[in-house]
Amino acid sequence: MLKKTAPNSPKRRRCSSFAAVDLVGSANRTFMVSVSLPKELILEILKRLPAKSVKRFHCVSKQWASMLSCPHFRELFLTRSSSAQPRLLFAIEKHNQWSLFSLPQRLTPYEKSSSSSVVVTPEFHMKFPPDGMLIYPRHDRRFSFGYASGLMYFYGMWINEHDYDGVPVICNPLTGRYASLPFLERYRKAFSFFGFDPIEKQYKVLFMAYPSGPDHHTVLTFGTGEMSWRKIECSVKHDIVSDGICINGVMYYLGDTSEFMTAFVVVCFDVRSETFSFIYPGSYCEVINYKGKLGLVFCDDYTDDAIELRLWVLEDKEKIEWSKYAYKLKDEKFSAHYVSIVGVSAAGEIVLSMADFTSKQPFYVFYYNPERNTLQCTEIQGFEEHHGTFDRRSRVRVFVDDCSSFYRFADHVEYLNVDEPKLLKSKIYDGPNAKIEWEEEEEEDEDEDQEKEEEDQWS
Amino acid sequence: MSSNKILLTSSDGESFEIDEAVARKFLIIVHMMEDNCAGEAIPLENVTGDILSKIIEYAKMHVNEPSEEDEDEEAKKNLDSWDAKFMEKLDLETIFKIILAANYLNFEGLLGFASQTVADYIKDKTPEEVREIFNIENDFTPEEEEEIRKENAWTFNE
Repeated sequence: MLKKTAPNSPKRRRCSSFAAVDLVGSANRTFMVSVSLPKELILEILKRLPAKSVKRFHCVSKQWASMLSCPHFRELFLTRSSSAQPRLLFAIEKHNQWSLFSLPQRLTPYEKSSSSSVVVTPEFHMKFPPDGMLIYPRHDRRFSFGYASGLMYFYGMWINEHDYDGVPVICNPLTGRYASLPFLERYRKAFSFFGFDPIEKQYKVLFMAYPSGPDHHTVLTFGTGEMSWRKIECSVKHDIVSDGICINGVMYYLGDTSEFMTAFVVVCFDVRSETFSFIYPGSYCEVINYKGKLGLVFCDDYTDDAIELRLWVLEDKEKIEWSKYAYKLKDEKFSAHYVSIVGVSAAGEIVLSMADFTSKQPFYVFYYNPERNTLQCTEIQGFEEHHGTFDRRSRVRVFVDDCSSFYRFADHVEYLNVDEPKLLKSKIYDGPNAKIEWEEEEEEDEDEDQEKEEEDQWS
Repeated sequence: MSSNKILLTSSDGESFEIDEAVARKFLIIVHMMEDNCAGEAIPLENVTGDILSKIIEYAKMHVNEPSEEDEDEEAKKNLDSWDAKFMEKLDLETIFKIILAANYLNFEGLLGFASQTVADYIKDKTPEEVREIFNIENDFTPEEEEEIRKENAWTFNE
């Protein structure tokens, strides 16, 4: 079995680990180099850094700060950096908290026979939300979860244990910053979806009302000003059947239009124009991002060790024209674990993942290469290290990056021209710092209250 | 593989006779050959002998490097291992000189590899250490630096 860990460095022609190189004399000291490199060669080095280092090096000098913020560097960084490589994002729930991990996607299809198995260790990012706060449990009718262009969305987050109604919250899994959105009271089920408009560079949350309830459908633009929910119209009355995905500025999810006989509809919401359109697939399907196009997956048969499925790819949105494929995937590991298609990798492989994680059994992701008809199994190890051992099944959500755009999970949101520090103000602190930070803030609040009381006395 | 020999002369007068296949790794020489500018000896005015010898050593190893499609995993692994050892022997100053020379020679493979090596070396360094390495003056006022550090505080907690 081949043992691999997620590399820090971007993949070049071959899977070479540059990090293994120890420079002479570099062990314990930093030394000045008398050779000065021109700006374009400094950029040649800097574009290969992880996003975190790029942000840290804004502090080096004013020239570096402006160099690292300019559009030219952003373009270089997004096309070259290890951080800009497409990734798989894993979110695992345990006791109303989510552990977030990621793994670089393979950039080239797997070459060998399907019997080979690979072991990889994902990079841990954070637990969300911070201590003292909780997210609705997965099975709760109010729970919603979304991911779009580098940010994650949860509805809802309890700020304290006594809150019955949680608030919607958006967070950056890389930086740990988060922001809560205005509370919205909902009747019965609270289905909401999260999307990104790559033209206006805006994130939006769509709240769909319960079909026979009194509420309106609403939408909110995430930004720095005062955010408010706006009413919008949807011409087709439907119940929500699936989670949503956002592809190139359009949110997609599966709905059910009939109260008596099931009649499925794929609801398409254009994030920019805030308008709905509808596609009728004929039967139940899963919606996936197929290389920047809408993909519908119909599971025809699920036996002990095989899955038969059809895949429709929307080639023309206006004419509703599809490319249609049929596949039969076979692996003995299917028998023990429920797997589902989660998306398509940058290399064009269909990615399947287990839906649950427990400490008692291995967790697998599968890559199916339609051209070679090979299925490769990848075992993901290391969840327990940060997520903790857990005998009960933990729900795992797996997101595959949108390979059609540069807006990818590990990119710092700044590279979307979104001013993240202004948008996502709070910070998740690790360890004891959290208490100190919050206690200091509380003390400041008390001081402010005291000052206000004194002012009131004088007025 | 072509057995034609090419003579290169470094800026400090050292001469290196190499196979044409090795010389073709340097796009500057390929263009000279295409434009019939390659005389008996090709002068490389921006590269000293000690750096040129290292670059030629690297180029020789990479003449027949396996392509991405190549299934010879063993060959790829051996070359990776050789690459790592090649860089391990060098100090940062020499790597900077190699970056300059690889850029001048238009030797993309080595430019990328050397740049990545430096990136991996500095990625966990503090801004102060980076200033020292690149000989950069800190032109922030203390207030400005505090502000920018506050904004990027998350990047400092390892």
